[in-house]
Amino acid sequence: MKKFFTSALFKGLVWQVIGFFIGASLVTGIRALMGLSTTDTFFFTEPAWVLGSFIGAISFLVGCGVTDDWIKWARGIETHDEHEEHWHGWEKFINVSFDHKVIGIQYTLIALALLAIGGTFALIFRTELAASQLQFLTTEFQLFGQNGPQLYNTLMSLHGIVMIISILLGISGIINYAVPLLIGAADMSFPRLNAFSYWIAVPAAVTLISSLFLGGFDTGWTGYPPLSSRAPVGMQMFFMGVFIAGWSSILGALNVVVTVIRMRAKGMAAMKMPIFVWASLATSIIAMTATQFIGLAFQLVMFQRLFGMGFFDPSKGGNPVLFQHLFWFYSHPAVYVFILPGLGVISELLPVFVRKPLYGYRWIAMSSIGIALVGFVVWAHHMFTSGMNEYLRVPFMYSTLLVSVPTGVKFFSWVATMWKGKISTPTPMLFVLGAIIVFLMGGLSGPPHATVSTDLHLHDTYFVVGHFHDTIFGGFVFPFFAAIYYWFPKATGRRMSEFWGKVHFWLMTPSFFVLTFGMMYVGLLGMRRRIADYDPALGLDTAHLVLTIGAFLIALSVLIFFINFFYSIKNGEKAEGNIWESRSPEWQVPSPMSLHNYPTPIEVVGEPYDYGLKDAPYTRFAPASKGKGKH
Amino acid sequence: MSHSQNKSAALMQGVIIFIYLTALTILEYFVAVAFDAVPLLIVVAIAKAALVLYYFMHIYKLNETDSDTNHDSYAYKTITNRLGLWLFLLSDSFVFAGLLVMRSNLLGLTRPELNQVLGLGVTAVLLISSFFMNRGELLMAHGDVKGFMRNTVITFILGLGFLLGVVLLEWRIAAHEGLTADFGNPVTGPVGGVFYMMTGMHAFHVFTGLIFLAVVWNNARKGLYTAEQHWGVEAAAVYWHFVDLVWIFFYPALYLIGTAVSAH
Ligand code: HEM
Ligand SMILES: [Cu+2]
Repeated sequence: MKKFFTSALFKGLVWQVIGFFIGASLVTGIRALMGLSTTDTFFFTEPAWVLGSFIGAISFLVGCGVTDDWIKWARGIETHDEHEEHWHGWEKFINVSFDHKVIGIQYTLIALALLAIGGTFALIFRTELAASQLQFLTTEFQLFGQNGPQLYNTLMSLHGIVMIISILLGISGIINYAVPLLIGAADMSFPRLNAFSYWIAVPAAVTLISSLFLGGFDTGWTGYPPLSSRAPVGMQMFFMGVFIAGWSSILGALNVVVTVIRMRAKGMAAMKMPIFVWASLATSIIAMTATQFIGLAFQLVMFQRLFGMGFFDPSKGGNPVLFQHLFWFYSHPAVYVFILPGLGVISELLPVFVRKPLYGYRWIAMSSIGIALVGFVVWAHHMFTSGMNEYLRVPFMYSTLLVSVPTGVKFFSWVATMWKGKISTPTPMLFVLGAIIVFLMGGLSGPPHATVSTDLHLHDTYFVVGHFHDTIFGGFVFPFFAAIYYWFPKATGRRMSEFWGKVHFWLMTPSFFVLTFGMMYVGLLGMRRRIADYDPALGLDTAHLVLTIGAFLIALSVLIFFINFFYSIKNGEKAEGNIWESRSPEWQVPSPMSLHNYPTPIEVVGEPYDYGLKDAPYTRFAPASKGKGKH
Repeated sequence: MSHSQNKSAALMQGVIIFIYLTALTILEYFVAVAFDAVPLLIVVAIAKAALVLYYFMHIYKLNETDSDTNHDSYAYKTITNRLGLWLFLLSDSFVFAGLLVMRSNLLGLTRPELNQVLGLGVTAVLLISSFFMNRGELLMAHGDVKGFMRNTVITFILGLGFLLGVVLLEWRIAAHEGLTADFGNPVTGPVGGVFYMMTGMHAFHVFTGLIFLAVVWNNARKGLYTAEQHWGVEAAAVYWHFVDLVWIFFYPALYLIGTAVSAH
């Protein structure tokens, strides 16, 4: 326990609270001097909450020590790179480390924590939906300054955004852990920036979740004005939390791009990079640029609320549709940020368990980049009913349908890779197969939304909800689990239980289909999305009850995963060798990896996915050369 | 001998580019006054931006190949750092692009009624600061630390002048003329909010640039930079020029394009 109280995490949190009070008191003081009100429903006034939470986040970063070296640089003091590990055991993960492997695991852990929190929110409101009429989130019910239906809205909105942040951190986790290993680097290009990108996500998550206690917000994760310009203070915490988390995404992605360009092993030409590296590159290019737009859009609403600058307020000459454009210019590409790494995991792992070369390597590599680029010009397909100019509908319909082409390329490659392969199905492979099927369902339910004539009916129904759960589970959740089962032994030297892994899979997959097909079904029958209650006359009670049971079964399977995960860290079966018989360089050295990864530099001498070919290695250890030092 | 020739040629180039930029700015101003030709204004702004990108920010350096392949060498790290910095600027430029999108969506062919003399004044000050910044970086590249520090001080003072000119003078005058942030005035509509948002975001970047300048000045004073190793100086200079680059687009967007909406 003492170790916890001296950890960077704890220090950071304490400083965040202190920083918050400094910022909030500052605003309160100034307001008092100006003769404005100094208290409000949640004690502080809204401007005080906003500035306080911002200063709190900065204080966290300075307080936890991740900026120490930069401050030294600014003062002209030299710093030295670590050559041995400072912390041991679990302490590594609550203290500042510059090692990409530790940071990757830190990201994964916080992503799992948020997954659990967001999932709990979902279970609560899913329970309310199990039958028509309000059962426990009634209008008399009061919690955190919200009545039942308001709390429903807050939980629904928080579920969405917490899950999205969890996805962003989850992909950062896999990318951080795997990319430097896959390209044979000792670390990322900017290790301090890397640590910073992780640590900034912690105060962001705290800020985001604090909105639950500050009146919540009822806009959904999209935060559209005019509703978001009127919602309680919790709305501001939502905007601020996402804004700060956005910086994690931007800076982390920048680091990945530079690392992939600058740190590859000798001989690793672009067309010899592992597919997962291509996918990470494509994802990072989007995250690095488009994220600024959501940051800006959210800032504008924050200012609209604070200073009355009515950017999106029609009564003041503003334009609410502008918000939607700015928002979706990020948030559509963002859905590719969510899935491209996952699709990369599928392509990366499939050949390992099929023992065959990946079919159409070049096409897959290019399809990731293609999806990333086309993804920038489809955003307004979320706005067919928004009242934007009608002539915009047609070009956006076609550009959206165009994205299916590079996506389809991936499916062809996966199927062709599996064709006549020697398929084995350990847990990671099960999740890969699950991902392919689930993502296919997501992909097939997309075009009905992309087509204007059908979307006008489907928009804002549960059909959309079913669609994006399929894409997100297929593109992120299943591959994320696959990646964890696959690289867990690399990180810990032990493997997770196969038996419980299989239970996890066989429980989660069917329940998941019940859930999403059920969502599409009730959606087609007229169930609106983002609503606490529905008319019994719709006749959807039974369907909703089944959906809720499905949701609880998924939660149970994830609980099994969590237990398996934490139990196996210490007690799993030992697995220090190349247990998957992978060709990838990280599996050619014993697990867990040492601090600077490879004992001697690696060199690429073949193709990454020549499974089944004899004497065709992908990499080898370079003969020790003089004067090249640690690399 | 050839070394100092190089140096004076490079300094001369800085002067010539500055003269071009000044000429283009004057041209821009008169184009706006005389014809109100938006496409022409955009062309001029792009021409100015290209000059800054190439001659002041040295974007071509991104093409440099590694002279030293040892990943731990200063030369290798500098090229990596440079890539990182430019990607950051690319990312940051999306913020400004977003603001320009907002401006064109909300204001179209109208603009706030602003003090033109002050606008041209602060624009000139920022442009001149870029000139001195470039000069300082060049001197540093030739090992002249004192010269670098001198020019950085001038840049800093001009930058501060710009910042105060916008935030203290321009904002105050605009507010006095009835341009309020809260769009309150039904005649001016959203112009006030757009104006304060855009200039505010830019001013924030100028402010961070000033901090950056102070840091490299201080480190130069401590003797941390040499002709061969001065990545910090390069980064500060490129960032400073970037801030100027943004203003190259913001100035016409706020002061020149379209017809002014008076608050009265
Ligand atoms: C073939 C590929 C896809 C097509 C054609 C497609 C099309 C669409 C369209 C048109 C909508 C808007 C529906 C509406 O609101 O009326 C939508 C919503 C959505 N899609 Fe997709 N999509 C595809 C793939 C994906 C992927 C890969 C993801 C994420 C990983 C995704 C996540 C979402 C999300 C989150 C929403 C709901 C947004 C909201 O909250 O309003 N989609 N999709
Ligand atoms: Cu979309």
